[in-house]
Amino acid sequence: MRTVSGYKATIGALTAIFWKGIRHYTRYPGSFVLILVMPFLFTLMIFGMGQFVGGSNASLNFAARTGTSNILVYEILGSAVWMIGWVVIEDVGVALRDEQMKGTLEQNFLAPVNRVTLLIGLSLTDIVITSAVFVVVVGVTIMITLPAAALSLLQAFVVLLIGLIPLFGIGFLFAGFVLRFKEPYVFTQILNLLFATLTGTYYPVSLLPYWVQFLSGALPQTYVIENMRRIVLANQTLVDIYGSMFVLLVLALAYPTFGYAVFKQLEKKASITGEFSKY
Amino acid sequence: MNAVEVQSLSKIFETKEGPLLRKVPKKVVAVDGISFSVPKGEIFGLLGPNGAGKTTTIKMLCTLITPTSGDAFINGNSLASDQQKVRESLGVMLTGERTLYWKLTGRENLEYFAALYHLDPLDARKRIDELLDLVGLKQHEHMLVENYSTGMRVRLSFAKAILNDAPVLLFDEPTASLDPQSSRLIRDTIRSLKKEGHAIILTTHNMEEADLLSDRVAIIDRGSIVALGSPSELKDKVKSSDVIEIEARNLSDRIVNALETFSEVSKIALATDPQSSEKGSLRIHAEKGKEVLPKVLEFLVRKQVSVTKVSFIEPTLEDVFISETGRSLRD
Repeated sequence: MRTVSGYKATIGALTAIFWKGIRHYTRYPGSFVLILVMPFLFTLMIFGMGQFVGGSNASLNFAARTGTSNILVYEILGSAVWMIGWVVIEDVGVALRDEQMKGTLEQNFLAPVNRVTLLIGLSLTDIVITSAVFVVVVGVTIMITLPAAALSLLQAFVVLLIGLIPLFGIGFLFAGFVLRFKEPYVFTQILNLLFATLTGTYYPVSLLPYWVQFLSGALPQTYVIENMRRIVLANQTLVDIYGSMFVLLVLALAYPTFGYAVFKQLEKKASITGEFSKY
Repeated sequence: MNAVEVQSLSKIFETKEGPLLRKVPKKVVAVDGISFSVPKGEIFGLLGPNGAGKTTTIKMLCTLITPTSGDAFINGNSLASDQQKVRESLGVMLTGERTLYWKLTGRENLEYFAALYHLDPLDARKRIDELLDLVGLKQHEHMLVENYSTGMRVRLSFAKAILNDAPVLLFDEPTASLDPQSSRLIRDTIRSLKKEGHAIILTTHNMEEADLLSDRVAIIDRGSIVALGSPSELKDKVKSSDVIEIEARNLSDRIVNALETFSEVSKIALATDPQSSEKGSLRIHAEKGKEVLPKVLEFLVRKQVSVTKVSFIEPTLEDVFISETGRSLRD
């Protein structure tokens, strides 16, 4: 039996895992509805809170603190990055647990497919679908409310694409914890909600206390959100934000390396205790 | 070079038992320093009761569980240092129906795993066609697995295990919960795979299956191999005794303990009927069976045991197990 190796093997495996996910989606169509309405619901909630609780000066205060009067684009950018981050981190972390619950985790682990390919692949369908939906939502919103910034969208999406890499790293970290300790949503939901507070999803990080800003600086979403806003709302280019992009690139290297190292350790531990087949 | 070389493989699980805050650490020895080898073209049976350590052994050999000590070499690759190569050399069928994706069709399942095993896409397509034909699922290839019967799912799992045509095949209870026809299909295929030169390790608690299929059998109990040899060699060991099987109602451990004290009885084991706790069968090994039988029957009648059938039988692998452990395989 002939086999393929190298990039052909990786692409073949990723494609198969991706299509398996798509087939599951089409056979559980309800989950599509959730993905389609989520970005609108979150943005509406925050937009409404600002408008109705902020009072008559809400818009002015918002502009003074954020440097832009375009509330919708400002909030939807934060919301989109936060939600994509949530999906990436949760899906990479929870994908293995889902397989474990189905009873198929061991079957995947028996195959000679690389673990990173498996980890990324198992969450790929959700990430691609969610990202595509968010890109469309963000794109359409900007085209309608801020047509002048339409051309800068491409640069903003480059930032988003680079920002996904460290998020996978955080996902690897969770995948290890989930494999070892089960109860996936305890880890992912607490931290994803915390990330919304720390990374400037709905307000500038600069308004946070100094010590909190220190924590924010270690999180990749902070740079993705800030840089996308600078590109779309302040007409800056990737060259103008090179310092912040450099930090994001460093995080894109550090998080996956650290996350995968922790995953391997916890996977080893799970293999010693025979956790793979346990529900 | 043997296709499989197992060297002093052990697995001790460390667990904690007891109520919260008062949990006590406990060590469970699942596999206790077993060694064996399997050459190419041999079917090697691991026979033992539930909980004997068969599945843990298989899971260690296929890299799903890390051994506590010892090592094994699959196609020359060490479990301890080259897991990736070990996985490439293996085809594995684990027990359980949920080893497949129920929301995928039979063909989609095989296509998915073919990609994870890095099979060339063109070869994979041909191989999947062949295998679906082989396991009699060609007509149902586009049906979701959730609509398959148990037998169909097991046959698909079997096809998945041999998909990559690996030199070493591990089958964990491959015919458990199968109808006789499907069992025969799988057994025949296992024999053909052996002829093709695959080294096959098969776990089972079904002694007939171990006897029918295996070139050599390791009888495993409480994590240790208690006997190893070809089925006929193993059975020869107990041929010096007569084997009496007594089927009866109201048998109990107390009766067995009392019968054990009979000087003519060398070994005795009780197996209860899984369908009815009242029914059971005694298997008695005695050098002079015809002399001891009247005494045993008299004792049983006195103890108000209602005997339904008595027979002298040819020793089976079950008798080897009884002879080595003093217990029945169905204990």
